[in-house]
Order: sequence, then structure tokens, then C-alpha cells
Amino acid sequence: MNPYILTILLFAMGLGTTITFASSHWLLAWMGLEINTLAILPLMCQSHHPRAVEATIKYFLTQATAAAMLLFASITNAWITGQWNLEFMSYSLPTTLVTVALALKIGLAPLHAWMPEVLQGLDLTTGLILSTWQKLAPFCLLLQINPSNTSLLLILGLASTLVGGWGGLNQNQLRKILAYSSIAHLGWMILVLQFFPSLTLLTLLMYFVMTFSLFISFKVNNSTTINSLSMSWSKTPIISSMVPFILLSLGGLPPLSGFMPKWLILQELTKQSLAPLATLAALSALLSLYFYLRISYAMTLTMSPNTLLNALPWRLPSNQHTLPLAITTSLTICLLPLTPAITALLTL
Amino acid sequence: MLKILIPSMFMLLTTWTSPFKQLWSTILMYSFLVATLSLTWLAMPTDTGWFYINNYMAYDPLSSPLLVLTCWLLPLMIIASQNHLAVEPENRQRTYISLLISLQIFLILAFSATEMIMFYVMFEATLIPTLIIITRWGNQMERLNAGTYFLFYTLAGSLPLLVALLIYHSSMGSLSYLSLTSLPLTCSNLYADKLWWMACLLAFLVKMPLYGVHLWLPKAHVEAPIAGSMVLAAVLLKLGGYGMMRIMIILDPLTKELSYPFIILALWGVIMTGSICLRQTDLKSLIAYSSVSHMGLVAAGILIQTPWGFTGALILMIAHGLTSSALFCLANTNYERTHSRTIILARGLQMVLPLMATWWFLASLANLALPPLPNLMGEIMIITSLFNWSFYTLILTGLGTLITASYSLYMFLLTQRGPIPHHLILLEPSHTREHLLLALHLLPLLLLIAKPELVWGWTA
Repeated sequence: MNPYILTILLFAMGLGTTITFASSHWLLAWMGLEINTLAILPLMCQSHHPRAVEATIKYFLTQATAAAMLLFASITNAWITGQWNLEFMSYSLPTTLVTVALALKIGLAPLHAWMPEVLQGLDLTTGLILSTWQKLAPFCLLLQINPSNTSLLLILGLASTLVGGWGGLNQNQLRKILAYSSIAHLGWMILVLQFFPSLTLLTLLMYFVMTFSLFISFKVNNSTTINSLSMSWSKTPIISSMVPFILLSLGGLPPLSGFMPKWLILQELTKQSLAPLATLAALSALLSLYFYLRISYAMTLTMSPNTLLNALPWRLPSNQHTLPLAITTSLTICLLPLTPAITALLTL
Repeated sequence: MLKILIPSMFMLLTTWTSPFKQLWSTILMYSFLVATLSLTWLAMPTDTGWFYINNYMAYDPLSSPLLVLTCWLLPLMIIASQNHLAVEPENRQRTYISLLISLQIFLILAFSATEMIMFYVMFEATLIPTLIIITRWGNQMERLNAGTYFLFYTLAGSLPLLVALLIYHSSMGSLSYLSLTSLPLTCSNLYADKLWWMACLLAFLVKMPLYGVHLWLPKAHVEAPIAGSMVLAAVLLKLGGYGMMRIMIILDPLTKELSYPFIILALWGVIMTGSICLRQTDLKSLIAYSSVSHMGLVAAGILIQTPWGFTGALILMIAHGLTSSALFCLANTNYERTHSRTIILARGLQMVLPLMATWWFLASLANLALPPLPNLMGEIMIITSLFNWSFYTLILTGLGTLITASYSLYMFLLTQRGPIPHHLILLEPSHTREHLLLALHLLPLLLLIAKPELVWGWTA
């Protein structure tokens, strides 16, 4: 893409999210979300492939619906309470509508159906932006509203973890697996939103780091299916040996850093006397772990049969920039001992 | 404490920076050094208290035998793996050794943890190197299934444990072992309390394993390479026993009624898995089911909650660790020669490998709990305390002892005695390395006859 156009679009995406971050008026927040959506649409269909265009249209329709619902909810709130401020939503109808609209925006179950299909149509970099950056603005809004309906968020959260686990089990396309993984992690974030919002932020940031590592690892190997990952041990042996750890970290296995958000969320849920819910959510994480484990089997822990020509390719010095991957992989694996520091940092 | 842990951590560095020709000797030397230093932990100045305490790690007469076993096992694993890894490229050998060393580090941290969440994190952390060892270096196609079963059985049991620990923490305020004895949960007879009791124990029962949830063990033990089988049988199962012993303190008085079905299941498992051993065709599978059988007895001994029960359980854990690991090493000597685990393909070996037959003999005798070995001491103490609890358990335990003796004898006679089949004339003679390995397994067992106080624990 023309570098000027790319710059404008990326800046516009940043602008949209920043407007939403800085807003305390509902109209401004809605505007930021719309700018964000509009800016990413050209990025999504830049290859003009019919599948990419289909993904773009699906994304546009769902996000526009969500934004319209958000606008409607804020107008209703303005009608009832007479003011447009974000924090002072005290009636249940607008609050519930806003929550459901934002759930559609980020792809929580049962409003998740667009997520795998949209991610499948994108290339890995744009998929990464969709999974990480696009979640920031809606979460900023979710963190600020006062939820009126306790059980709504819990139902959204639990359904997301279960759907994220079960949905990914039958996939062999990596982007769909990453979509379901995203849904599952968003479910964990929503579960604890009303009790300890800093943990939502912690989970979101940890998820960004882990999923960044995974997307970039897949991009370096230029693979989009599980089968094509089986050649990665000869192309990039060190990345191949690190990816099982990234995957197990996404699955929430101690002593990797992915355990940190799960542990803290389970602690908060048990403190709120929601122990059966905590157990259910923890066990649903096992479902996602199964398909993460399957990817790591295909990539690292087994060696697929191949000819000598495939087994020993020339490993020429690559011009891929892998420093961000190195940093985020180290963070994904080694951050658990810093839990007290990170918790203190985020509960300021 | 740190003089063992820090050298173990730096052995990881040594693995990657040693010159390749000296890699195995260097690592072997350092791990023997660490193992020798760890023997100082067996000298206990007090009978029941904790010692060598710092903020996060401490140990007492319960954990020090298990810690010494862990440290002793690393050089043995390295000796055992040397042969089958010699054909692999250099970096993979280094990776394998790093996995073994990291497993030891996690195990040391697990056994010496003073706080239950630290124990939990390290308990789960041991799963990852073991999973990688089984699925990457196992030899058959079924190893992937084995790894999945291993990971998911253990995790499905331990996630409720995490929630149960967090519940206890939120109501009692602390999960430190040092204060657990003074903070028992007040019993309120709700159904939820019974579920909480179950959640606390399920992880350890799956790990031990208890008979109904033991399905992962034969798969994992059989498909793992020799070092994986050794560490699984010798130490990782004992993590389950150790965790159970630690957490029993807070589970009173619910345990009086709730443990009943599990004791019976454990004892029934002793008989069932013993009987299955008599029909096995796969040598490693036989030894794996024998592990389930012995650990069933350990589980019953722990659930009884008497001093002799705990003592017997601890001694049986240590003795079984050494014995089972020795048996897996012996099975591996067969496997390296014939590349098959089928028992009948490698029989009558006393004719060809007579000194190995001696080790087979000693290991089989240890397995069937011959006096005066510590295996017998553990079993007798557990059987006695079970008899004290209820007379009828004697039927199950007595039958279990009989069946254990039968399959141990069956295994010895089938592999060693009888005519040697025609295809086995050209076997490689036993390596000195293999003799050393088995001697190092069985010598501590024989020495423990003289002073079992070292591994008694704090209740005897």
C-alpha cells in the first residue's frame, strides 16, 4: 500500500482510540469508535481478495450495528438522566444496552459469530491489529461504566470462555483458532470487570503480549494452517522451540506468565463467593488448552516426514525484524514472579 | 538451601556452555556434587520442627527424604539417558539435559515450599518439562496421546485445587504451612464443604494415582523415554503423596467420613492393578501398573491419618521411588538391546547377561517387599494401621501383598529364567554404565535397612 495512505490510516486508528480514551461525553466516545472502525476497513481489504473483502464487509456491518446501538443507548441515557457523561449512567436500560453493544464490538459470546470469519479473511498482521488494538477503545468504555446487572457480565464471560474453548476444537486454520482464543480470553476479562477492574486491564495487557508473540511467530513462518506449521522446525528452529511455551502460556499454565491473570481472577471470584463459577471458568480453560497443545504437537514436538531437501533448507540471514518477537516472548514466559509488582502497578 | 538450588539453576547455564565432548561428564559430575551436598538435609537437628527456614522455602522431616531423592535422581537420569541420546544432534542433547535440570529445580522448589500456592505453582510447573520429554523424545506414535492424557488428567484435578486453596485463603487469611496447624477450617456440614474437601484432594489423588483416575499413568510411563519414566515413577507420583500429607492437616474433621470411599477405592486398586500386572505383555506397562498398586497402598495409608499410616506412606514412597526407577532402568536395558518392550521377546536373559540378572533379582525382591528392605517396613506399617482402622482391610491388603509377590516373581522368572530364545544370542554385553546405574539405585535402598529413621518423617 502507498506509504502515505498507510500512515494516514494508522494515524486515524490511533486517533480514534485516543479520542475514545480522552472522552467523557458519549458522543465523542462514539465518534472515536467510528473513526477507528472506518480507518481499519481499508487496511483489512487492501489485498482486494474476495475473501478479504467479505471479511471487511462483515466487520463493517457488525461494528456499525454495535456503534448504532451504542449511540441509541447514550441517547436513551441522555433522555432519562439529562446528561451525556460517561460515568453517570445509573439506569439499567442504557447500561445494559451499552454493555451488549460493546460486547458485540469486541466479540464476546453469544455475540461472537463474526470474529472467526473476519479474522480468517485477514492476513496475520491486520488480524493482530484487530485482536489487540481494536479491543482497547471498547474496554476503555467498559471499564468506566457502572454495570447495573451483575449476572449479565458473568453470563457473557462464562459463555465466552466456553464458546472460545469449544469453538476452537474443530479448527485447523490458525486464524480461526486465534479468533476463538481471543473470545476465550475476553471472557476471562469480562468475568472480573465488575469486581476488580484493574485485573481486566492486567488480563488485557497480558493477552496483548501473548497474542502478539503468537501472531508474529506464525507470520515469521508464513503459515496459516496447522499443517504448514510442521515445516517450521527447519526454517526457524529457535522460534519453533519457543512457541510451545507461548501456547502453554496462553493456556494459562504455571509457571508461565499466562497463569498470572487466571490466578488473580480466580482469587477475586472466590473472594466474591463465586467459587463454582470460578471452577467452571477454570475448567473451560482446559478446552482451549487442548487446541493449543495440538498446535505445539504439530509445530515442535513431532517431526513430520519430509525429504532431505525440506529438512535442511538454506538458512540465509533473514531481514525480518524479530526484536519485538524476542521481547514479547520473554515477557510471555518469564513474567510470573513479578506478579506483586505488576498488580501494584495496575491498582494505582 | 540455596547452596543446592543456585547450583542447580546454574547447571542450566553449564549445559549450554560446556564443550560438547565433555558435556555429559561435566553435567554428571555437577549433579553428583549437588546430590552429595543434598545428603546434609537428612541430618535433622529437631524431630518435628521446620529447619533451614527462609521466607519462601523450608523443610522438615517429611520433605527432606523426598528432596534428597529428587537430587539423587538427577545423576541417575543422566547416566540412564546417555546411550539413547548419543545419536541426537548436539543442541537436542543440551535441550534434553536442560529439561531434566529444570524439572529438578521445580521439584526442589515444590518440596521445600512453605506456602501452598507456591507448592501449587511448582506442582503444575513440573508438568511442562515432563510433557515435553514424553512427547518429543518418546519412541512410539502413542506418545502424543500419552502426553495429552497426562496433562489433562492432572490439570482437571488441580484446577479445583487452586479454587479450593483460594477459598481457604480468603476465609483464613494465610496459606503458609507453618500456620496451617493452628487454622483448621471450622466444619459446618454444608454440601459445599464436602465439595471443598473433594477439591482439595482430587489433584493429589489423580497424581498418585488413585485407582479410578489412574488411566494416564500407564500411558505416560510406557511412552516416556527412560529419564521420563524414572522421574515420573520416582518423584512425580510422590508429589501427590506429599501434597496429600500436607493438606490433610486442614481437612479435619471432614475426613473422618469422607475418606471412606477413597480408602476402599485405593485398596481395591491395589488388587485390580496387581491382577492386571499378571496379564501384561508389555514390560514397562507391568512396572507402571505395579507403581499404581504400590501408590494405592500409600494413598490408603495417608487417608487413614494415623502416625503409623503417615510413616509407612513416606517410607514406602521413598523405597518405591528407588525400586520403581531401578525396574524402569532394567526394562530400558532390555529395550536398548531389542527395541521392543514385549516381555516374551527378551526372556531367559540370565544365560546371556548374568550380572544384570542379579540386579533384576534384587529389584524384584524389593518390589515384592522382602524383609528387611524398607519397602516391607512401609507396607507393614500401612497394613497394620489399616487393620487397626478396620479388620476387613486385611483381606484386601493381604491379597494385595500376595498378588504383588506373584507378579514380581512372574516378571523375574519370565525375563531371566528359562531357555533363551534363538534370536537373542547376539546381545550386546552389559555396559559398566548400566551396572553403575543399578548399583546407585539399589545401594541406598540396602543402606536404608540400617537406618530407616532418616526417612521416617515426623510421626514415628
